[in-house]
Amino acid sequence: MARKQPLELFMPPNMIKAKVGGGPGGLDMAAITRAEAAMQSLESEFGDWIAADVDMLTAARDRYAATHDAAARDALLRAAHDIKGQAPTFNYPLIARVAGSLSRMIGELPPQAAIPLNLVDAHVNAIMVIHKSKLQNTNDRTAQALCAELDARVDEVLAESK
Amino acid sequence: MSGYRFDRLKVLVVDDNVHMRKLVTTILQAFGVVQISEAESADRAWQSLRDSNPDVIVLDWVMEGMSGVELVRMIRSNPQAPNSFVPVIMLTGHTSLEHVNEARDAGVNEFIAKPVSVKTMMSRLVSVIEHPRPYVRTGGFFGPCRRRRNPHEYQGPERRSEKSQQAAE
Repeated sequence: MARKQPLELFMPPNMIKAKVGGGPGGLDMAAITRAEAAMQSLESEFGDWIAADVDMLTAARDRYAATHDAAARDALLRAAHDIKGQAPTFNYPLIARVAGSLSRMIGELPPQAAIPLNLVDAHVNAIMVIHKSKLQNTNDRTAQALCAELDARVDEVLAESK
Repeated sequence: MSGYRFDRLKVLVVDDNVHMRKLVTTILQAFGVVQISEAESADRAWQSLRDSNPDVIVLDWVMEGMSGVELVRMIRSNPQAPNSFVPVIMLTGHTSLEHVNEARDAGVNEFIAKPVSVKTMMSRLVSVIEHPRPYVRTGGFFGPCRRRRNPHEYQGPERRSEKSQQAAE
């Protein structure tokens, strides 16, 4: 197929390269080592950070339970999505997995379909238990079984909604 | 050793989660970036763009109010934007192809899939410095070219043509 749509393609001047210089583009290993050490120094705060995220999720759950409106639904999805992305960084991969299951359910359900609150609660409670138990080992069999069960329940809900 | 003068770089970090902002800021500072500004929402970021005039934006996707992708569309297409070419590195928990394509179509330059790692952050930063993308302007699109190869070689359908976009609407 011949190109018909007028297309202007251009390369803007590379102002960033002119500013920072360097090259030929390898990774700065000294800077990476410094940054990894800096991240490690933050690890003592990760427990508080994940606690704040879990509090935000439970608040979003309570708001949704009270109103069932679109804004509350969006807030719940955002809270679950944030935890899914952040919990692995804060050394809680299991919390990320459960939050991923919750955000998948909310995100994939049609907007007109109600979110089953009992299944939201199952996810939120699982996250609270994992957090309170400081469960960071992804090989924990009970946690794995719980995650698999939640995944299966979400699959069922999504299948029914189609 | 790359020898970059990261201390000359101005970076705007946009995330509605204070802890993620602290994490990203800490990594950037360890790289040697000293000129870092923060915004807790896309609306705030838009307001502060003119003052901070960043060289790079590190941006979260999912935020209350305007999303990260919506902000990128504004930066690329709104005449009020101080620098339509500013490279955007998007932090995202969305990793599906559909989401990646949506962000690329909006004008995102690079992605960092959460969880954030130091090496990925450095790699994306180096990428916007060393491998900037050409920009494309058509009737219905302005932004970094999605294809890293020569786009003139492309022979497929014109998804961004005005006709295609009207048909899609």
